[in-house]
Amino acid sequence: MDVFSNIALGFGVAATFQNILYCALGAFLGTVVGVLPGIGPVTTVAMLLPISFTLEPTSALIMMAGIYYGAQYGGSTTAILINIPGEASSVVTSLDGHKMARMGRAGPALGIAALGSFFAGTVATFVVSFGAPPLARMALQFGPAEYFSLMLCGLIAAVVLARGSIVKAIAMVVLGLLFGLAGSDVNSGVRRFTFGFQGLADGIEFVALSMAIYGIAEVAINLERKASEVAVAGRVGSVMPSWADIRHCIPSVLRGTSLGSVLGVLPGGGALLASFAAYTLEKKVASHPRTFGEGDIRGVAAPESANNAGAQTSFIPMLTLGIPSNPTMALMIGALMVHGITPGPRVMTDRPDLFWGVVASMWIGNLMLVVLNLPMIGLWIRLLRMPYRLMFPAIVGFCCVGTYTINSNVTDVTVMAFFIVFGYLCLKLDCEPAPLILGFVLGPMMEEYLRRALLISRGDPTVFVTSPISLGFLIAAALLLLVVALPAIRKKREEAMVE
Amino acid sequence: MKSAKVLRSLVFAPVMLAMAGAVTFAASTGAAAQTYPSKPVRLVLPYSPGGIIDYVGRTVAQHLSTTLGQQVIAENRPGAGGITGTDTVARSTPDGYTIVIMDPAIVINPTLQPSMPYDLFKQLEVVSMISSSPEVVVVAPELPVKNMSELIAYAKANPGKLNFASAGIGTTPHLAGELFKQRTGVDATHVPYKSIGQSYPDMMSNKIQFAFSSIAGALPFTTDNRVRPIATTGLKRSEVYPDLQTVDESGLKGFEVDLWLGIFAPSGMPADVMSKLNGALGEALKNPELIKAFAKVGVTARGTSPQEGAAFLKSEFDKWKKVIEDGKIKDN
Repeated sequence: MDVFSNIALGFGVAATFQNILYCALGAFLGTVVGVLPGIGPVTTVAMLLPISFTLEPTSALIMMAGIYYGAQYGGSTTAILINIPGEASSVVTSLDGHKMARMGRAGPALGIAALGSFFAGTVATFVVSFGAPPLARMALQFGPAEYFSLMLCGLIAAVVLARGSIVKAIAMVVLGLLFGLAGSDVNSGVRRFTFGFQGLADGIEFVALSMAIYGIAEVAINLERKASEVAVAGRVGSVMPSWADIRHCIPSVLRGTSLGSVLGVLPGGGALLASFAAYTLEKKVASHPRTFGEGDIRGVAAPESANNAGAQTSFIPMLTLGIPSNPTMALMIGALMVHGITPGPRVMTDRPDLFWGVVASMWIGNLMLVVLNLPMIGLWIRLLRMPYRLMFPAIVGFCCVGTYTINSNVTDVTVMAFFIVFGYLCLKLDCEPAPLILGFVLGPMMEEYLRRALLISRGDPTVFVTSPISLGFLIAAALLLLVVALPAIRKKREEAMVE
Repeated sequence: MKSAKVLRSLVFAPVMLAMAGAVTFAASTGAAAQTYPSKPVRLVLPYSPGGIIDYVGRTVAQHLSTTLGQQVIAENRPGAGGITGTDTVARSTPDGYTIVIMDPAIVINPTLQPSMPYDLFKQLEVVSMISSSPEVVVVAPELPVKNMSELIAYAKANPGKLNFASAGIGTTPHLAGELFKQRTGVDATHVPYKSIGQSYPDMMSNKIQFAFSSIAGALPFTTDNRVRPIATTGLKRSEVYPDLQTVDESGLKGFEVDLWLGIFAPSGMPADVMSKLNGALGEALKNPELIKAFAKVGVTARGTSPQEGAAFLKSEFDKWKKVIEDGKIKDN
């Protein structure tokens, strides 16, 4: 059977009334939990697991997949509207997305996020259809050394990503790394930076950190401003992106989609890097890059496409190798096993209806997200008309409840309180939080891979240069550093920042 | 929400005290069991959603609801390798309305951790052991070994060259590997991962040579021999891998690693509440649907009396304490 007849088979399975219903249900639930902080896709899938045992395995998986990519989309909505990125991947979206909302362009931002995601989802569906087996082989080439070098490259890109002073950006990355180290060390079990608190044994909760810095510290900064300045955010503007907006974004969407499709295949954190990498790439190659960070619509389009493409292609290692990229997928594997299906290379040959049905449902699901969300945009931006004096306490309450419900752990709320003060100081000192977040997320993973690579090589550091993939990333990282360090370029960069 | 609860309990404290007195009195006359359970029972799952405990815990909660005649609500309280969730139960009132499901980490943590928020043997007691599951020894496909004795011979011929994976320091796959090293004198390096599943790509490319894996974690990779299963760690052969020898059969007499699960309650539960809960659990564990659900992930249902459970707990505690001390594995 060739690919096209496979896709036809897939649509035959996915387009039955029952499966469309589960797909819609999944996409809708996913959007809802993505918007609500504290309850993420993992919890939702876990709660629905017992119900899924009574379903046809294909329907169950279609619904869970819908929850997964629906949540990615919902997370971007809050990032744009109220500057609360619920997941690491939507942190970048809030950079330009929320600025756009404050300029009265929340509609176009949400619109381009939906359209960009849909386009990326369509492409990624084809990538999964055509490239699953070879891409899965590529993912297997990545061992600890290769992942370490990839992460290092990503982290150095974070410095390039920052606006303003490079020294501050480096300081923020390093601080992020240090915060990321808190908790139990994987290799020895020793607890670091926990100060004897049981609640810190698993480290600092990402949601607590990001909500404190992006959500509440921003609120505090806004409260300081005069009422007239703040009121600008209430202006709604057009609901849909204009044709000019869309044309402006096409190259960014294309670049974001291809980057996301490739990185998404790597189960060890590739999908997470996708949105950060796409944003960095945009800043490097787009024309007039100085508007990035000031509400540039391309700064929403690129990471959103990358994010969604990555979310989709991360199904490749799961469906073809049985390797989960994240906890949500681990749950999906569990659900399949309960149905007596062992995820792995055999799924494609033994259960083509399941494999291709799920692939086809992804495209249907993405279409549904657009259908569900485009009409919702008008509703969402009406939220922004709410006076800020009502909005502020709502955001603070939202964040506290959200942070507490993740682990039912009071320590997380205390941690959030600490980072509100910290985030406020950072914003006052003009230190960008994005590099901090990236350092926080990538730091612990980098450390884990570094130490694992060295443990396996018995302490021999040459493993990082003898592997061609690893060497490639290291060279790329060195080039990036060179670009940043070159005085001429740096001078030009600072000039740009003055404006 | 929490403060509301505190407030409420302050207001009702005198009433509660009076009621507690009445309950204690009633307990001595055996009336507590007639009223228990009069409200939903909370079953704490001390790990994140998605693992074996989550799956087994939710299945048990569903069937226990029927046999107990009250809703049993499963609640994830993850953190610190199970310590956080277990601690909330250790501190709760021993009235049978708060119970916890735990794996061998409950006996490993007290030896491994420098400080514990609760005392396992003083503050918790076994209601019943509920399940048993062997681990499976898997090796990299390139490794020229087909069974346990070949693995031992190969490891001895290549001292210090082999790596074994685990799901982290002090987890059962780690300590099983240590026990294996201690029993055979093999020299192999421990490489911890965050979950055993993460180690499989590295095992397929022979960066990791072997692991003591949970059956559920190994199944996706052993069905098509992307990694090779060579033995299981129960004393009886596993129904999932009936063709594989047990480690015990293959020469290491008495080598047994059990990924058991048990249900625990805070110490000092009235005897009749304990027996009612134990009875309801025992009945739930006989349900064919539950047995079928367990079997899908390689888990066998096994009910015990509280006394049998306590004796088993102590023997497991001693067994792993010795492995940790002999292997000088120690947190901090």
